[in-house]
Amino acid sequence: MAVELSTIKHLCELSKLDYDEAGMKKVMGEMSDIIELMDEIKAFDLVYDDTKDENEISLSDTREDIAEESFPTEKLLSNAENTDGCYVVPKVVE
Amino acid sequence: MDIKRTNIRALRKALDSKEISAAELCGEYFKRIEDADPRLLSYITVTKEKALQDAEKAQAVINAGNSAPLTGIPLAVKDNICIDGVRTTCASKMLENFIPPYNAAVIEKLNAQGYVLLGKTSMDEFAMGGSTQTSAFAKTRNPYDLERVPGGSSGGSAAAVAAGLAPAALGSDTGGSIRQPASFCGVTGIKPTYGRVSRYGLVAFASSLDQIGPIANDARDCALLLNAICGHDRHDATSANVDTPDFSEKIGKPISGLKIALPKEFFSDAVEPAVKQHVLDASKELEKRGAVLVDCSMPGLKYAVPAYYLIACAEAASNLSRFDGIKYGFRGEGRTYEELIRDSRSRGFGEEVKRRILLGNYALSSGYYDAYYKKALALKQEIIKEYNDIFGIADVILTPTAPTPAYKIGEQDNDPVKMYMADICTVTVNIAKLPAVSTTCGYTENGLPVGMSIIGRRFDETTVLQVADEWENGFAPISPKL
Amino acid sequence: MSAYFPTMGLEIHAELLTKSKVFCTCSAEFGGTPNSRCCPVCSGLPGTLPVLNRKAVEYIIKAGYVMNCEISRFTKWDRKNYFYPDLPKAYQISQMPRPVCLSGNVKINVNGAEKNIRINRIHLEEDAGKLVHDDVNRISLADYNRCGVPLIEIVTEPDFHSADEVIAFIEKIKLLLQYAGICDCKMEQGSIRCDVNISIAPKGSNELGTRTELKNLNSLKAISRAIEAEIERQEELLDNGERVIQQTRRFNEQLGETTAMRSKEDAHDYRYFPDPDIPPIIFTEEELEEIRRSIPELPEQRVERYVNEYGIKKADADIIVGNKTICDFFDEAIAEYNNPKAVANYIIGELMNRINRGEADMENLNFGGAEFAQLVEFMQTDKISQANAKTILREMIENGGSPKDIADRDDLWIKEDSGAIALVVDEIIANNPKAVEQYKKGDQKVFGFFMGQANKALKGAASPKAIQEYIRSKLEGNS
Repeated sequence: MAVELSTIKHLCELSKLDYDEAGMKKVMGEMSDIIELMDEIKAFDLVYDDTKDENEISLSDTREDIAEESFPTEKLLSNAENTDGCYVVPKVVE
Repeated sequence: MDIKRTNIRALRKALDSKEISAAELCGEYFKRIEDADPRLLSYITVTKEKALQDAEKAQAVINAGNSAPLTGIPLAVKDNICIDGVRTTCASKMLENFIPPYNAAVIEKLNAQGYVLLGKTSMDEFAMGGSTQTSAFAKTRNPYDLERVPGGSSGGSAAAVAAGLAPAALGSDTGGSIRQPASFCGVTGIKPTYGRVSRYGLVAFASSLDQIGPIANDARDCALLLNAICGHDRHDATSANVDTPDFSEKIGKPISGLKIALPKEFFSDAVEPAVKQHVLDASKELEKRGAVLVDCSMPGLKYAVPAYYLIACAEAASNLSRFDGIKYGFRGEGRTYEELIRDSRSRGFGEEVKRRILLGNYALSSGYYDAYYKKALALKQEIIKEYNDIFGIADVILTPTAPTPAYKIGEQDNDPVKMYMADICTVTVNIAKLPAVSTTCGYTENGLPVGMSIIGRRFDETTVLQVADEWENGFAPISPKL
Repeated sequence: MSAYFPTMGLEIHAELLTKSKVFCTCSAEFGGTPNSRCCPVCSGLPGTLPVLNRKAVEYIIKAGYVMNCEISRFTKWDRKNYFYPDLPKAYQISQMPRPVCLSGNVKINVNGAEKNIRINRIHLEEDAGKLVHDDVNRISLADYNRCGVPLIEIVTEPDFHSADEVIAFIEKIKLLLQYAGICDCKMEQGSIRCDVNISIAPKGSNELGTRTELKNLNSLKAISRAIEAEIERQEELLDNGERVIQQTRRFNEQLGETTAMRSKEDAHDYRYFPDPDIPPIIFTEEELEEIRRSIPELPEQRVERYVNEYGIKKADADIIVGNKTICDFFDEAIAEYNNPKAVANYIIGELMNRINRGEADMENLNFGGAEFAQLVEFMQTDKISQANAKTILREMIENGGSPKDIADRDDLWIKEDSGAIALVVDEIIANNPKAVEQYKKGDQKVFGFFMGQANKALKGAASPKAIQEYIRSKLEGNS
């Protein structure tokens, strides 16, 4: 296996995804195969230089600071459970 | 009129000459959809009521003699492009009931021309896949063989155009999602240069690779649609502030002297012999018409699939984090925020989407970032460099669009690695931000279409469309029986 | 004396004074009914994209210059990924390896000694929304009005060793940001916020101890108290042979102690990566120079100007410059009446006195610097007595209005009516023969008694000079 169960569990934690036992077993096998494929890239030995992507813009290409009218609150919330113009979130346990 | 595989130019004439009204025309398509789509499963949502209203408005414009190229033309739109008030699902249970409150930039542009929306086409869930079989709602079939996949992720768009359920459609392409289904369904599709078309309103899969483009019956219709949807957009900082040509300006011009490169790695054993042969035959035909064939090499191709999946999935993991059940989309159960979000995502996303989220977070997580994500970015720079080298000696590049023709439904279901490797011919184009068009170059013994891709320099869509059109002029497409 | 030596570093978040948010065109103004200053972009709707606000970039460059930072010629934006309901995209757009500003320094003055605080970096990011907790229904309500308001995060090196140093630094940063026009620094509205990283080590030790992070501190007083409490807590732990655990803590103002936030800090892996939606920026030297030149006069320059050009005492100049609102008020006043010393004296002596007593609020004054200057001028030119000036100032603070109108209405002008002076003074002299006698014997102090009596009786209707002259002529003429 190219990947440990603890790694998959950590990834599930980061991804906020849960699997039942059978699902976990299945996804672990699949992820192992996938990561094995990804490992091929390790043979490539060039280093990334973030200043050489040639996708930069200049400051003048950015947006001017002009405030425009906002969106109707009701329409914005139309896909959400809402009350008093707010999104309803179950209690956050810190 | 017979609408099967009728191109937009012909429809334009029919509308402007009052041979048919806009409402009658979209009615023809709805008839065809009602008849064929229960077998084809290309649409997730059909917007008949809205279409008739749109058609009426368009008719007034036509009657006044003010038609734009797309006024009254019915079109289908991939279901990951937001349309104000029209359900947009991304073929995911997560967005089953999501109704965007705004229009994508491309929809605003189509609206400005008075197009008529037929409906939203199926796709792989969140555009992740090459078969349209990960769709939660409509696992589209191939019109040439209903036992086979239409390709993907824009499989609904490609199948609908091929079977005459729409004269043309919008798709999106992150690693081949326009070109590969176009190839499987025997139609023409173009992935424009990254930045040519605004991504605003396209539900993001991988932001640095995604691009919206047309799927149509031929290269000329692709040019016409690209003319309508391209251009700088102030809502998309990655949309290029460059001049937009008439994309059909080179169409019909001779290709004599044009240098066509054939990188040998694209014709390796990974590609089925029949596919290889059709593409090579096409290259010989183009040579006869004056093009010059150039041999070349792209050594970086062997790393392209992992590089692509690492970049795409890293971005996807982040892009899809916003689906938490709170603001929109499937809301699971849970007494706490943590429980609700886990339940919403675990039940709202399908298995392939979840795998890609896991892979993306793997590539980005501490301890793995340098070995995977950063290495993939280095590969990206290498692939760009190798393309630049080739474009130093050639004007366009010719490759197969996919290693195989359309395969049987279920064939790759349990093998994600095999599925990923099938993207080998298309992903580098997205990585290098290049334009590429796929057009049909032949049919297998089973009657399945085979597609070839013509890749151009950045912002040189006109040349790839010119070559595709040149090829199509001598090619007799075979319509599916459906 | 403690056997330990505390070391602290700060992370200061300041909201920028842009008109629109950093990645969309919604208003960045504070407040508003819930989700009324929102759009599909800042609410994180699928398909939406961020478009960077140029002004926000200009402001962080200015912040970099006023804190003596190096400005990167190449800068880019990253996504910080974490789930929290106040963060609609589930990532915050921020900057990791390529912040706009690097390695600066700011001088502070603590108890008369100057000290240099090093700045590690300043980067640009977006603010998150607000959650209102409804404990009865066990829900929270999310309002995204603040989502996408531009923030700069100033990260210092661990150069602080006392709460006083921390407070002096924050006050200095507030002034610099206010004078540069970058942030209004209203701590009570959260437009400037501060987290403190804090550790202690035995005196003489070269190594730093394990640090904790104090969060959610919303006033200078709370910061100071929280630091003291946390140092004390860590000292107790070490004294008892226990270890300090690296964690995030919050300060409970009622109890005056810090408590651990139940945090999965170890699980926090933010998976920073370059945001593919926002292209990196390359600045030209010309652009940077233009921004640098547009920085308004900073506090130190203002003090210098007041001392050198206006002859104001350094201590007084420091007081005025120490509050930007007062300083702007001062500049407005001397534009009206060019007598900086007199205006400064009356601001420090009278106006600030009332502010300190809670009678006036500088942020909500009923009058401007020009009106105030007129009052000072009337006083300086003997048109209004000092006592009446105070009365007029009180009226201006309470109800507003110009000093001229108030003096007209309430009859508070000096009239220089010699008849009235004579009447009053003659009576005082007649009623106080003993005092007259003392004066004649050479007791000059008695003169003050006559002045006081006359002033009181005349109620400011005559100038002190006129009264003085008449009394003197009367007392000395009688000899």
